[in-house]
Amino acid sequence: MFQHDAYILLLEGESILDFIDGLSTNLVSGQCSTIFTRANAKIIDVCEVLPVGSNVAIIGYEPYKNDLISHLKPRILERNITIRDIGSINDVFVGPIPEELPSGSTRLNSFMGPMAIIPKHHEKQASWDQSHWDEYRIMNMIPYHGAEITPQVHPYACGLDKLVHPNKGCYIGQEILTRMRSRGRQGKTLVRRSNPAPNATTTGAKESLCIERTQ
Amino acid sequence: MDCGTCETTPTIELNVPDEVDVNLTMTDKATNMLSEAFGDDRSHALLVGVLSGGCSGYMYDLQIVESTETPCQELNINGYRVLVPRASSHLLDGIEIDYVDRLMGGGFKITNPNASASCGCGESFA
Repeated sequence: MFQHDAYILLLEGESILDFIDGLSTNLVSGQCSTIFTRANAKIIDVCEVLPVGSNVAIIGYEPYKNDLISHLKPRILERNITIRDIGSINDVFVGPIPEELPSGSTRLNSFMGPMAIIPKHHEKQASWDQSHWDEYRIMNMIPYHGAEITPQVHPYACGLDKLVHPNKGCYIGQEILTRMRSRGRQGKTLVRRSNPAPNATTTGAKESLCIERTQ
Repeated sequence: MDCGTCETTPTIELNVPDEVDVNLTMTDKATNMLSEAFGDDRSHALLVGVLSGGCSGYMYDLQIVESTETPCQELNINGYRVLVPRASSHLLDGIEIDYVDRLMGGGFKITNPNASASCGCGESFA
């Protein structure tokens, strides 16, 4: 398993799932993956949503954390919501997860496949390095933050179509994404190419992931 | 997962925008519609709020309420009680409420000088 450079925000308050649902691309009614997008449909972050008791955890990519917080904060309005950053007391791992996990760990399915959240005091070490994780992603066509998932692309371009709910109502960026889908003009898409692959977003030993204009 | 809800885990500071005294106007058409809705009953009020969400990030929320637990500014507009949540006051100062009478897309419409963008249906703004 690979250690994901993750933040975990714990949102406490009423109707947190509704709050997240109103601001992201997927239908959020429980544990799921969803995408926060700007008005131009470009990605702010792709996150896991995990109900924890009466609270909700959002797990995303650490370098994109501040952008997401800046996006959420002004929209809290009169909702009584508190946000805690609990990333510093937990480690997040992705990839094949062992059957046995330390006590207090949480296992979930993310858009990257299996994910485990393990309290940091267990000092669990990753068994995979970056290149191992990249080969796994290339083989399974899994986009990753900072490589395929960047603030310059929309969800369709990095292969996250399944996280854009086709029948969902208004959210920021929805008009553009709906127009792209209804007109069949998604522009760029995630593809796997044999090496050498010009403009590769992730380069493996034999194959690479690329975001290419296919339409 | 260690949920960190103990006191030792710091919360992220949420900067609440300063509350402003809301100026709000209502057109004659909107006033007439309120008159039809309320009749002579003045025990209810029009709550003009903002929710997060919508195509542009914020959505207007109009409700007729008797009271609300949400801290509000209470205005008297053309003889009617209008409630504006304090937390949304910075987004609603200067708005004009109109009523558009047509079969498609009709209803109360809000013109908001604070909005930099709005979606096609007019319910959402940024």
